[in-house]
Amino acid sequence: MAPSTIRGFDEYLQSLPPITFQRLYQQPATALAIFRRMLPSLAKIFVTTLLYNDRPIPLAELQSWVRTESYREREDAFSKLRRLHITQERAGNVSIDPIFKKNFRLALTGGGDHHSFGVPVDASDDRKKVSISTLDNYAANQFDCILHYMVEPSGQRQPNPGVKILLITSGLMKQSERGHQPKITQAGFSFILQEGNAQIWALLIQYLEMCESLQMEKTEVLHFLLMLGSLELGQAYSTATLTQTQIKVLADLKDYGVVYQRKSMPDRFYPTRLATTLTSDVTGLRSTAASFTQALVAAGPVAPPSEAAGESGFIIIETNYRVYAYTNNPLSIAILDLFCKLGSRFPNLVTAKLTRASIQRAIANGITADQIIDYLKVHAHPVMRKNVLILPPTVVDQIRLWQIEGERMKTTPGFLFKDFASEWDFQDTARYAEELGILAWKDSKRRLMFATRTEQIVDYLKRRGEQQAVGRKV
Amino acid sequence: MDKVDASAHYQGVTEDKPSLLVVVLDTNPFAWQSLHSELPLQTALSHILLFLNAHLSFSHANRVAVIASHTKSATFLYPNSAAAAETAETSVDLYRDANKYRLFASIERQVQSSMQRLLSSTAPESLAGTNETTMAGALSLALAYINRVCNADNLSDSGEGSGGGARPGEARADTASMTARILVVSVSGDLANQYVSVMNSIFAAQRQRVPIDICKIAGDTVFLQQASDSTNGIYMQLQHPSALLQYLLSCFMSDPSTRHHLIPPSQINVDFRAACFCHKRVVDIGFVCSICLSIFCSPPPGAICTTCNTKLDVSALGNYGGKPAVVLMKKKKIKKAKKVLNDSAADSSTPGTPVA
Amino acid sequence: MADSDSDYIASSGDEAPKSKSNKTGKRGKRAGREKPRERWEEIQRAWDLGLEDDNIESTISELLEAGKKRRLLKDETPLQRGIIRHLVLILDLSVAMAEKDLRPTRYLLSLRYACDFVREFFEQNPISQMAVVGMRDGIAIRISDMGGNPQTHVDAIQKLRLDDPDGSPSLQNALEMARGALFHTPSHGTREVVIIYGALWSADPGDIHTTIRSLVADKIRVAVVGLAAQVSICKELVRITNAGDTSSYTVALNEVHFREKLLEATTPPVTRTQKMSANGLLMMGFPSRIVERTASLCACHSQMNKGGYLCSRCGTKVCQLPCECPACGLTLILSTHLARSYHHLFPLKNWLEVSWTEARRSTHCFSCQSAFPPPPAAALKDTPDAERQPAKTGSSTSISSRYKCPDCGMHFCVDCDVFCHEILYNCPGCQSLGDEKPARTTRGKKRARELSEGGAGAPPPPPPPAPPEPEPMVID
Repeated sequence: MAPSTIRGFDEYLQSLPPITFQRLYQQPATALAIFRRMLPSLAKIFVTTLLYNDRPIPLAELQSWVRTESYREREDAFSKLRRLHITQERAGNVSIDPIFKKNFRLALTGGGDHHSFGVPVDASDDRKKVSISTLDNYAANQFDCILHYMVEPSGQRQPNPGVKILLITSGLMKQSERGHQPKITQAGFSFILQEGNAQIWALLIQYLEMCESLQMEKTEVLHFLLMLGSLELGQAYSTATLTQTQIKVLADLKDYGVVYQRKSMPDRFYPTRLATTLTSDVTGLRSTAASFTQALVAAGPVAPPSEAAGESGFIIIETNYRVYAYTNNPLSIAILDLFCKLGSRFPNLVTAKLTRASIQRAIANGITADQIIDYLKVHAHPVMRKNVLILPPTVVDQIRLWQIEGERMKTTPGFLFKDFASEWDFQDTARYAEELGILAWKDSKRRLMFATRTEQIVDYLKRRGEQQAVGRKV
Repeated sequence: MDKVDASAHYQGVTEDKPSLLVVVLDTNPFAWQSLHSELPLQTALSHILLFLNAHLSFSHANRVAVIASHTKSATFLYPNSAAAAETAETSVDLYRDANKYRLFASIERQVQSSMQRLLSSTAPESLAGTNETTMAGALSLALAYINRVCNADNLSDSGEGSGGGARPGEARADTASMTARILVVSVSGDLANQYVSVMNSIFAAQRQRVPIDICKIAGDTVFLQQASDSTNGIYMQLQHPSALLQYLLSCFMSDPSTRHHLIPPSQINVDFRAACFCHKRVVDIGFVCSICLSIFCSPPPGAICTTCNTKLDVSALGNYGGKPAVVLMKKKKIKKAKKVLNDSAADSSTPGTPVA
Repeated sequence: MADSDSDYIASSGDEAPKSKSNKTGKRGKRAGREKPRERWEEIQRAWDLGLEDDNIESTISELLEAGKKRRLLKDETPLQRGIIRHLVLILDLSVAMAEKDLRPTRYLLSLRYACDFVREFFEQNPISQMAVVGMRDGIAIRISDMGGNPQTHVDAIQKLRLDDPDGSPSLQNALEMARGALFHTPSHGTREVVIIYGALWSADPGDIHTTIRSLVADKIRVAVVGLAAQVSICKELVRITNAGDTSSYTVALNEVHFREKLLEATTPPVTRTQKMSANGLLMMGFPSRIVERTASLCACHSQMNKGGYLCSRCGTKVCQLPCECPACGLTLILSTHLARSYHHLFPLKNWLEVSWTEARRSTHCFSCQSAFPPPPAAALKDTPDAERQPAKTGSSTSISSRYKCPDCGMHFCVDCDVFCHEILYNCPGCQSLGDEKPARTTRGKKRARELSEGGAGAPPPPPPPAPPEPEPMVID
């Protein structure tokens, strides 16, 4: 199986069947992690409101809290809650899934006997103290090694075989011929351009999918991953409470740099920054990204440590498409080379230029304009961050335009709605879909519409049907 | 090519900033004693702790602080360096508790222990004759802390701007790395003695765009109402104090950035009365010194402003006796009319009625 | 607490020499120079300072702290200020404003700063009123009318952005219009005109000196911020209307200076004489806001709205504050508007530096809980030396990064120092320690008592430095 696009954690989670959610919510740590990581803030507020309410609340009442201008956010919140099976709706009333409720309450109040927040070990008896910078270095090294390998498979630093297998099964790299080094695929290119947290999740999700074929219990792995997110950096944790599967996972995660384990001490492990930020949201990451990049640069073989003065970004783009990258990290330069025309190189600076040819070459390699833009945005120099729009809008628009030059057709996965009973029926549904922003296309003459999601529309139609039925009775 | 229209243009994404919640807990023992049957302080504290946990669970980067506004002092309950040191020593056995998120546990322990210390250090005799709470101090502490936490990144920059004379308040508010809000859990009344300092805190909060939410369990103060009104905070008088947790979780949960999607709980009438400087009385009509704007409930003795020491011209006061606005009359008559109206000033005057 | 005044005298006396002698080490050479330096010599260049010390980081942090501190060292004596002000802001919209010597253009920059000015003005003078007038095509145009709502002025100024500057300015026309706007304002307030003037000429229909004379008669003061070069008539205008004092006429050197000078006018002016403004005691109402179920008419604009404010005397409904009750003439304001200016009345004392010896007392900033650097071992041994240097009213940065409130004795960091003096205007220490220390709110009362006892406690506050009496103007 070779997925053309890399799925993020969000999409992966939403594709799981309801029964898996029931099992996931058994653990307070998982409930907390999903709450924190997956829900928009409005949905979080709905959950806290409902959390200690024993009676269900009418949906209409919850909806009336939100300003009419924020219609879209409101619908987004509700649909997220429904898709994650956190809320249940019965006869127009909303309540929280009892299992989620119980365990989320447990997470907030503490208590119970689930050990889902990891069992800390007093590491003071350890001969060698494991400092946070050791962990950062380790994580940075391991992960950097994977990325290096993908860009340059014949390089000196080779990741463990387990990682190589994962890269190939996930379709990020391709074994062209036997005996030859595998080559990076289009999916691999776009993987490289993602930001750190997304990359880790992409790898872990591939890993999860691989687990299924290895007869490992998926929920256990997920529990473990989400638990990692609630651990504390620099703290040792015991492996005693882990299941057999989870211990196996632990060994694999070591290769990705997510956890650190000393050979002499197999009964404990240390989560690295990659692990503790697994369930952070974007903003949480930005603050950690700084220290992580610092570690990366410091760990780099050529970089003098003084260069790493806490800079989270290094790229400056001017409106004339010139790119200045303050880096000497070969990986960063290799990535820039994917979509820039490199100019000259100085001890700490690389100059490059975004050209039509370079962008289209990247696009031919399967990298999308959005990925390039995201990469530039994520790695923008702090000076650029002071602007309201981080990147110059002209450059961003031009990158998009260059991509569109080659595209005459756009595909959108979704669902076709047809055979509407009446004109009103069609118009009403289409209007609803449009307001939600999920309408991709419609043809009023033939009463056809195409939407990217169905759940909300189905819900809406159901609700409308009920209302009409009630109306008719009266 | 026609795909790129205005809607496809690049726009900066507004991502939710992490948020800081400062809870100011009024720990006035008198008020809590009278509430004891309905909501003991200990229960209220555990409700607040749960609320803090919920706030922290919104995002990894969210932070909290708890400040106690006691009868004669205001102190930090969390973060509190002394309590942190203390709990670190005593909590080795608690350390192994894997059933609670560690951050939650450590906050809870610190708050509990510093609360214990605060209450045990309050001698009964020191409470005599005080039924107030140092709200101004607590708000000042909260604002200083918010300023530190939210502008940690920017503080280093502000030095450069010093030549530019940019007002730090406005300049920083836009670029702050965190949003912040203050929640006051208030049980005691009257703050008239601290009028000026409370007002100063309110304006500081307004300039920093920090909403002050008021969760009023008992008592009533005019100034906290004004605080929440002028900072766009939420004011809520609890009907059932025992349901504190539910109130907290449903009404006070939203951070400033989410709040902008929500309809605030219904606006109530806001009392805008002021406290006079001379007797600390809350008044709705006052005498104001035109030099320094001090408020007096009656013209000060000797017509000398007690604040700025100016000899005031009290004779002009007559003009404010209430002349009918619409009537045009000769000078002499106005003087007469003025006197008449002066006497009946308390009654509602009927505009436009000619006074003969 | 009259001691704050004596404090001030003491500190103002020795501040100047100390600030020089204190700049030891790095800036020693500079400070030791005898000759008063010219303006262009005063520019501090980062590289000059950085080069003299290897440890760049400490230098930079010290510079930052010094910069923060510098803003704080304002005088703390309460001055009598006429806080109810009436001001007309005159904007030059002539062709001279199209110059690009100030970035992006003089026009856009002055519009932006004008908005800042409006906001700042109402922040500092909550119950004051202002109007905005423009000069274009030889005539004066009304941009916004006299009013107390900052937003209407800002909106009106923002609308100008779309236009281009054009024509000649007419100083006389604009001043006449300003005089008209200020004509009806009550006598207990000040009357002021602030002009942003980019042109070097003025196209007037008549003799501007007559206008200036009538301004004096109407007790209107004028301040001018020039953008190009000094213009004689502006200087004359300022000199005559300000009783011979030309300090409120400045020509902006650069963008930053422009802003600084413009915003200077937002600070309430020192009242010059009893004659200039009568000290009235005003009766004011503090109406409460009501929310109604059904809409009703308001008395001020005759518009239907749900809710508003009820006059505390006669119960008339008005929709906007501050205003004068249309029925009974009572001045209605929000108490919060008044309270906004109280920090002028009870200014926070400057905090003192803390020596290393004393620094051992604290490990954390009292208000923000951030950690202080621990006292170095050297400082502990060297106690006598440290004691020899008493803490002074911070003329420079504190060596121990701590600042002490003279009243409550708590230690604060420099960020809190700046925050408390510039935004909060409260001392968190004094407020938090409650009754143990005298609260600042009682200061006024105390002083009053002292005064009524015949000034036994302390000498009465020094009279504000009053400029000379306005002489009868003779203009020629």
